[in-house]
Amino acid sequence: MIELRDIRKVFNEGKPHALTAVDGVSLILDARAVTVLQGPSGSGKTTLLSLVGCMARPTEGRIMLEDREITSLPERFLTDVRRRTFGFIFQQFNLVKGISALENVMLPAYPLGERHASLKKRARGLLDLFGILPRESSRAEWLSGGEAQRTAICRALINDPKIIIADEPTAHLDTKLSREFMDIVGRLKAEQKTVIIASHDPLVYGSSVVDRVITMRDGKIEAAGR
Amino acid sequence: MGNWFERQRNIIDFTLSSLVRRKGKNLALLLVYTLLVFLLASVMFFTHALRKEASLVLQGAPEMVVQRMAAGRHELVPRRYLGMIKGIKGVSGARGRLWGYYFDPVMSANYTMVVPEDHPLGAGSISIGQGISRSRLARVGDFIPFRRYDGTPMVLTVREVLTTGSELVSSDLILVSEGDFRKLFGMAPDLYTDIVLSVRNAKEVATAAQKVQKLLPDTRPIMKSEILRTYDTIFDWRSGIIVVILSSAVLAFIIFAWDKASGLSAEERKEIGILKAIGWETSDVLLMKFWEGAAVSLSSFLAGVLFAYIHVFFTPVMLFEPVLKGWSTLYPSFKLVPFISPYQVAMLFFLTVVPYTVATIVPSWRAATIDPDSVMRS
Amino acid sequence: MFYPCIANNALYKMRKSTLFFMSIAVQSVLLLGAFTHAAYQRGRDASILGETVALVKRLDLTDLCLFTEARYTRHPTQADLHSPFQDHPMSLEHFPSGSLLAPRKGIGYR
Repeated sequence: MIELRDIRKVFNEGKPHALTAVDGVSLILDARAVTVLQGPSGSGKTTLLSLVGCMARPTEGRIMLEDREITSLPERFLTDVRRRTFGFIFQQFNLVKGISALENVMLPAYPLGERHASLKKRARGLLDLFGILPRESSRAEWLSGGEAQRTAICRALINDPKIIIADEPTAHLDTKLSREFMDIVGRLKAEQKTVIIASHDPLVYGSSVVDRVITMRDGKIEAAGR
Repeated sequence: MGNWFERQRNIIDFTLSSLVRRKGKNLALLLVYTLLVFLLASVMFFTHALRKEASLVLQGAPEMVVQRMAAGRHELVPRRYLGMIKGIKGVSGARGRLWGYYFDPVMSANYTMVVPEDHPLGAGSISIGQGISRSRLARVGDFIPFRRYDGTPMVLTVREVLTTGSELVSSDLILVSEGDFRKLFGMAPDLYTDIVLSVRNAKEVATAAQKVQKLLPDTRPIMKSEILRTYDTIFDWRSGIIVVILSSAVLAFIIFAWDKASGLSAEERKEIGILKAIGWETSDVLLMKFWEGAAVSLSSFLAGVLFAYIHVFFTPVMLFEPVLKGWSTLYPSFKLVPFISPYQVAMLFFLTVVPYTVATIVPSWRAATIDPDSVMRS
Repeated sequence: MFYPCIANNALYKMRKSTLFFMSIAVQSVLLLGAFTHAAYQRGRDASILGETVALVKRLDLTDLCLFTEARYTRHPTQADLHSPFQDHPMSLEHFPSGSLLAPRKGIGYR
C-alpha cells in the first residue's frame, strides 16, 4: 500500500519559470491492484509516478510505503528502497543499446552484487517466461518492438519487485502489442504484483485488468475513480 | 550489501560491454596509449640500465688521471712528471698512459689506440674491438695497414678480437705495443699521453689531487669520482627532456581523456540516465567510469612496459640506434644488462594509469549525479 | 543453442570480467617474468660485467665507447676544458650526440 499526503512538486522553485507539476495530491494506492493514472500530457501523471517510484522527492508532502516514511530517507537508502521495491518500464523502453537483451535484463541487479551464475539463470528464466529466450544474445537495437517491450518488462522484474511502474508503456506500440502488454499486466497482477501505469491510451485505462483509473489535470486529481 | 567482489565484476562486465560497442575507437585509444607508455618506458629502461652499467664498469677506472695542459690544449706529459708524482706522499703507484686517436680514412672512422701496461701479443700485433672487427671485416690473422705520422705505411696483424661482452667500453679500441705506438705517432720515448695514479687511502684522493696541482701547476687531475659523476648524469641532459616531452604527451592524452569524459555524448548521458532510473546509485556509475579508465590504462600500461622491456633488452634498441649513432661511423652494438627496478615501474604507473583513471572519473561526476527521473522527464 | 557457432565459442561464453582479469593476470605474470628474467640475466651477465671491469682496470679506461665522432664525445671525462668549447662553452650541441651529454660540471654559466 502506498499513501500520498498533500504532495506538491515544483520544478525550478523560486525561479521565474517555476512549474508546479503536482499540486496537493493525496491518494492511497492499493497493493496487488492495477492503477492507471490518466490525463492529458502535462497533467502531472508522469511526475506523480516518479514521486511514487522514489525517483524524485516531492517539494512538499509525504509518501508512505507500507507505513514507512520514505520522503525523508537519505539518497542512498532511497535508491536501495527503489531498486528492491520497484520495477520500471519506460516510454520507448529505454533499453541500453549495443549490449545484448540478456545483459539489459541483468543490468538493474548488477550493483547488488548477486552471484553472476544465479543472476543469469534468473534473467534467462524471465526471458523464457516471456518467450524471447532465443533472442537473448541479440543487441537491444536489433530487437523488434514486441521483443524490446518484453525485454523491458523482464528488466523491470529482475529484482523481483513488489510494485511495477510503467510510464506511457503503449505510446509507441500498435494495437496488437498494446493488447499484449495489457495481457502481461494481467499476468503480473495474478502474481500479486502492484502495477501503477501512467497513460492516456484508452486501450490501457479501458482494459478489464485495470482496477482503478485516476484522472489528473493540471497537477490535481480530477477523479479518483474508486 | 551483497558480495563486494561480485559487484565489481558485474560492473566490469557492463563496462567492457560498453567499451566493446565502440570497438574501433577504443582499440585505437588503447594502441596509442600503449605506444606512449612504450616510448616512456623505453627511455627510462635504457638510460637507467646504461647508467647503472656505466657506474659498475667504471668502478675499474683509475683513481686519478693527470693531464698536462698547454695553451688550452692537451699536452704530452714528460717522464720526469711521473717521478715527481710518484714522490707525493700518499700516492701508492703511478703509470704513464699511452693512448690516442687514429683516423681511418678507409672507414672514415676514429679508432682509439691504447697501449696496455703489458702487451702480451708483442710488437707487430694488435687486439681490436668488436666494432672495428665488424666494420672492417677484420678477423684474427688479418693485416691492417696504418699510415705513420710521416706518411710511411705500417702493417699490424690482428691477433685478438676483444669480447662482445665488453663492447660498451672496447668497441673502437686497438690495443698496440708501446714500441708500435711510438713508431706510429712518432712520439719520443720520454713522453706519455697522461698519467694515472693510485692512492693508498681512498679518502685522500682529493688531497692528493691538490698536491699534484700544487707540485705541477700546468696539470689537471681528474678523479674517479668525477668520471663516475659524468656518467651518472649521462643522458640526464636529454632523457630528461625526452621524458618531459613524453610526459606532456601523456598530459595531452589525459586532457583528451578528461575532455572525452566531460563531453559525454547525448547518448552516453541518456545511458547514465537509464542506469540511474533502473536503480544504479551515483557511486555505481562512478565505479563503472573508474573501471572504464582503469581497464584502458592498466592494459596499455602493462603492454607498453612489456614491449619496452623486450625492445630495450632483447632487440638492438632500434629506437635509440639513430640517436647513439649520431655522426659516428663506428658505433657500438651492445646488449645492456637488464637493470630494472620496481621503482621505475611504479613511477611509470603513477605517471600514466593513475592520472588517466582520475581524468576519466572526475568529469563524469556531474553526469553521474543526474536525477533518476530525468529519463521520464525527457 | 540458438546461435551454435557463437555459443560454442568458449571465449564468447566466458564473462567479460573474467577475460579482463585473465588478460591483466597474464600481463602481470609476464611483467613479473620480465623482472625474473632481468634478475636471472643480471646473474648470468655478472661474469661478463666482471670481465669488462677487469678490462677497464687492465687498460686504465675512463670512458664508455658510445659516440666516436669526436674526442670529447668519445672521452667526455678526459676532454680538456677547452677543446669542446673552442667556439663557445655550450657548443657540445654541434654533434647530435652532444645533445645527449651535459656539459661538464662547472662549465658554462653558473
